[in-house]
Parts: sequence; C-alpha cells; structure tokens
Amino acid sequence: MKNNLPEERSSLSYKAKRLFKRNWSGWLLMLPGLLLFVFFVWAPLAQNVILSFSETNGFEAAGFNNFENYIRVFEDPMFTKALANTFKYIFWSIIIGFLVPVFLGLLLSEVVHFKSFFRLGIYFPAIVSGIAVVIMWSYLFDPNPGAVLNQILSAMGIPASQFLSNPKLTIPLIVVTMTWRGAGGTVLVYLSALQNIDNSQYEAARMDGAGVCSRIWHVTLPHIKPTIRMLFILQIISVFQVFYEPLVMTSGGPDGASVSLLLLSYQYAFQSFDAGASAAVGVILALIIIALTVVYLRLSTPKKDKISRRWKKYAEKTSK
Amino acid sequence: MLKRLQSKSGGILTAADYKKRGFRAVYVLILFILFVAVLTALIPVLWLFLSSFKEAGELTSTPYHLFPKAFDIKKLVEVWNMLNFWQYFLNTIIVVIGAVICSVLFNGLLAYTFAIVKPKGYKIFFALVMASYMIPAITSIVPLYNQIVNMQLINSYIPLWFMFGANAYYLIMFKNYFESLPKALFEAAEMDKCGKFKTFFKIVVPMSRPIIGVVAIFTMTAAWSDFLLPYLILQDESMMTVMVKIYNLQSTMGSVQGFGPDKLLMILTISILPQILIFAIFQKQITGSSAAGAVKE
Repeated sequence: MKNNLPEERSSLSYKAKRLFKRNWSGWLLMLPGLLLFVFFVWAPLAQNVILSFSETNGFEAAGFNNFENYIRVFEDPMFTKALANTFKYIFWSIIIGFLVPVFLGLLLSEVVHFKSFFRLGIYFPAIVSGIAVVIMWSYLFDPNPGAVLNQILSAMGIPASQFLSNPKLTIPLIVVTMTWRGAGGTVLVYLSALQNIDNSQYEAARMDGAGVCSRIWHVTLPHIKPTIRMLFILQIISVFQVFYEPLVMTSGGPDGASVSLLLLSYQYAFQSFDAGASAAVGVILALIIIALTVVYLRLSTPKKDKISRRWKKYAEKTSK
Repeated sequence: MLKRLQSKSGGILTAADYKKRGFRAVYVLILFILFVAVLTALIPVLWLFLSSFKEAGELTSTPYHLFPKAFDIKKLVEVWNMLNFWQYFLNTIIVVIGAVICSVLFNGLLAYTFAIVKPKGYKIFFALVMASYMIPAITSIVPLYNQIVNMQLINSYIPLWFMFGANAYYLIMFKNYFESLPKALFEAAEMDKCGKFKTFFKIVVPMSRPIIGVVAIFTMTAAWSDFLLPYLILQDESMMTVMVKIYNLQSTMGSVQGFGPDKLLMILTISILPQILIFAIFQKQITGSSAAGAVKE
C-alpha cells in the first residue's frame, strides 16, 4: 500500500482528479458569467467571422464564398468614404477630444476655489448621455437662420451656417458633441493622475529656480505621460466606436460625409440587408480594436520605472 | 478668497508664486476658463429645458428668445398623456432593475473568481475578456440578433437584462476592488471551511458595498439610455423603452398628428430628468470612481 502511493500520485488520472477536486467549485462559480460572455460577446464575434466568409440568406450564413464579401465591401465607394472619414474623425478627435481634457485637467488640479463645483459641472454631460442628448444636439445645430446658434452667429456678424449639412463641418461638429459628452470622464482621470504627483518634486524644481513653464515641462508632463499615452490610445479606439452620433444626427450624411465604419456595418445589415458585408466590416473593426486594445493594456499596466527619462535626467541634474 | 490661495502649498503654482500680481491674474484666468467649461457643459441641457416649454412657433425667432413666453407645466402633462408615456417609463424601469441585478451579480461573481478564487485556467478567460473589452457589440450585431431570434427572445426583456451581466468594464472595476481587500480574510474563510460561494456572499459582498453601489449606479444610467439592442429587440409598441420610443418619435415625426419638434423637446427633457436625479443624489460616488475604473487595466 505504502509503496503504491507515489506511483499512484504521479498517474494521470490521479492528477486529473486532484485538479478537479481543487478547482471544481471555482469553475462552477465562473460558469454563469462566462456563459453570458459567450452568449453576448464571444459567440457573436466568432460567428461574425464565419458570416463574413459566407454567402448569406437573410441574416443566416448559407455556404462559404471566400473573400467575396470583403471584395464587395472594398469596391463600395461608401466604404472608401467611411475609411477616409475615420482618419478625419481621428484628426478632429485629437485636436478637440484629446487636447481639451488634458488642458482642463491641468487647470482643475491647480484650482483651490469651487473645485467640486467645477468637477461636477464638467462631469455632468457624461451622466445624461444617451440617444436623447444626441437628438438634443441635432436640434441645437438647427440650420434654420432663426435657430439659436445661427442667431448667435449673426449677432457676431457671421453668416448663418448649415452646420451638420455642411460636409466640411459635419465631422468636427460630431466630434464636438462627443467631446462634450466624454471630456468630463477624461478630465477626472487626468486629475487623479495629477494629484498623485509627489509634491516634493515640485519643491525640488522650485528650489532649483525653475519657472512655471519649466515645472510643467520637467515635472508635470513627465509624470502624467503614461496617462496621456493611454488616453491617447483610448481616444483613437473611441473613433472606431463612433455610432450613435452620425446615426441620429446625420444618418451618415450629407452624402456619406460623416458615415463611420461602425455605422456602415449597421447600415449594411439593417438597411441594405447585406449581412455578409456587415460582418466583413465588423470583423475588420474588431481586429483593429483588438490590436489597439493590446497596445492600450501594455501601456496601462503600471510600472514603477515608467516615468519618462526627461524627469529622471532632470532629477539627477537638480540633485547635484 | 485670497487666504486659500495663500495657503496653497502643492501643485505647479503655490502661495509663493501667488505673492506676485501676475500670477494672481493667471489664477483669475484659470477660474474664468473653468467657469466657461462648466457653462459649456450645462448650457445645452439648460437650453433644452427652456426650449421644451416653447410653442412650436417660438423655437426659431429673430431676435432670438432664450426663454419661453410661459412656463406652462400643462404642456408637460399634455405631452405625457398624449403619448401615454407611463407605459414607456415603466418598461424602462423594469429593464433598469433587471440590468442592475444582473450586472452586480454576474460581473461581481466572475470578478471574484478572477481576483480571489483563481481556479486553473482562469487566465485564459480573463485574457479573452480583456481582448474583447473595447469591441462594441454592434460589430457583431447580426449574429447576436440571430441568436436572440433563435431563442425566441424577441419582445422580451431577458436579453436586455443579461447583457449587462457580461460587461468587461464593470468586471474590471469589481476585480480591482476585490484585489485590494485584505488577503487574510480569505485565508481565514478557507480555514473555517467556508465554501467559496458562501465566502462571496458572507465576506466579499458585505465588504464591497461601495463598489457595488458604484457599479449599480453606472448600470442604472447606462441601462436607462441603452438604445440599439432594445431598439432591435423590442418591436412591440407596448414593450418599448423610453429611448426606443423617442427614436421612433423622432424618425416618424410629422406623420404623427399634432406632434412637432416642440413636443419632442419636451419628451427629451422628461427622459433625461431621471438621469439628472441619479446624478444629483449620487454625485460623490459617481465622480469619485469614474476615474478609478478607467485607468487601471
């Protein structure tokens, strides 16, 4: 009996039994949550890949058809437009959506009066997001010369604008509404990063006679650089998630000037009932987003020595 | 006013800087810019409130009038009754309650296994969650829709509830929180032969009230304004949520007798009031934790 034991312990069935014994309750606990992820996220994603390589009958796959869906999508001028728009969205969301929160976060961290009022006020739009607010914006951008924004423009001596119906303005204006909704959350992220900066480092810089600009450049920015980098990637990712704004405000118009890839995927499915093309665009989008997410996660894993070289050099210099 | 400035010791600018006149001017400028930012955040919604009390003809005018001629609360009642809005409100509340329960229970339980129980193989699933974390459901909406049709869950709230049980964002918030709980607690629970399921409800849940509250609040507002899946699934008029009804009203406006833009604006006001109410009640929890969830992986 005693001699048998070690042998039995190393046997495969014993190992499997032990593995099961140790883990079954954990697996059981994981099951409900994972099933929901399978149903709502992973299975649809996997089926979408299959669908994108399939002939479709209604919304169901009906036989492999190679890359035909992808070719059809690439040949569609609307897809070219959506792709070009993606770059426009990225451009404007960097100019408006990315820079505004950095700036506001910096100001908010410096203020000692009305701080919670400012914080609440700036965050407020995030909580009323939803389709109702998007509709509200489409009324604010009413091109009627008697409507509110055009009246303000005319008071300033600027001719009435077509706003969203002007293909040159439609994407920047959509980005404005997205920034209005999203900036508050981002500002709070910057604020918490800024408040984590050790005060002694400012102190050291001040002792060294560093002016305000030099303090921002050598102390503040290097310390929030990881946050900035991360939120930059998030900002790019958010462009690939653009959907509700063009759906409600412009339906992607005028003439495709604001159509986003995600909206195009939706329109393929529920307007032209071409599930194959919709899936193809969906798969392309999912791949782009997964790639960006990997970059994002790499950047967001906190590492102690990640604070940039500029700060280290500066710290060395000042300590001498 | 000045006293608080004189005692400011941290940050880029300190009391020493504010001794100089120039920096005090800079500070006033900072205050001014932040006021403008807050106004920009509030004004569109204020505009909506004011405009929703206007008559149809009042919406556009030269010169422009910001305020309506009369604040007639009757208009609110009239629009509400005309659309029988109770129905949509109740439907939405049913969706929100189910979503909050599913969101807290399923994301919480899964986060507990990822953070504390750690059964063999959990890392694969966590990696999968993280990889798909930012992919919007719309990218694969057709297969999801097919699944729901095949399970005969069209015109049912069940998928809308359970969808919130598979939310990577809430899951990560829970996981971060659970990982910060003292390890000794769980070791003690194991010594006492307290089952893992029991440990969750007896130890983890009571210690996690703050994060449960935050996820519940976030789910509440998210479920309230959720649109696409409800729109695709709730085809029966009597099942629709507020957001679905609003979208339908907007896209069919003109075909409904006596329903114009002014009434739509009133409906928009009504629909965002509950969110503002939630914000007003839970402002601290909301602004306190929105940063925490977003940064950590």
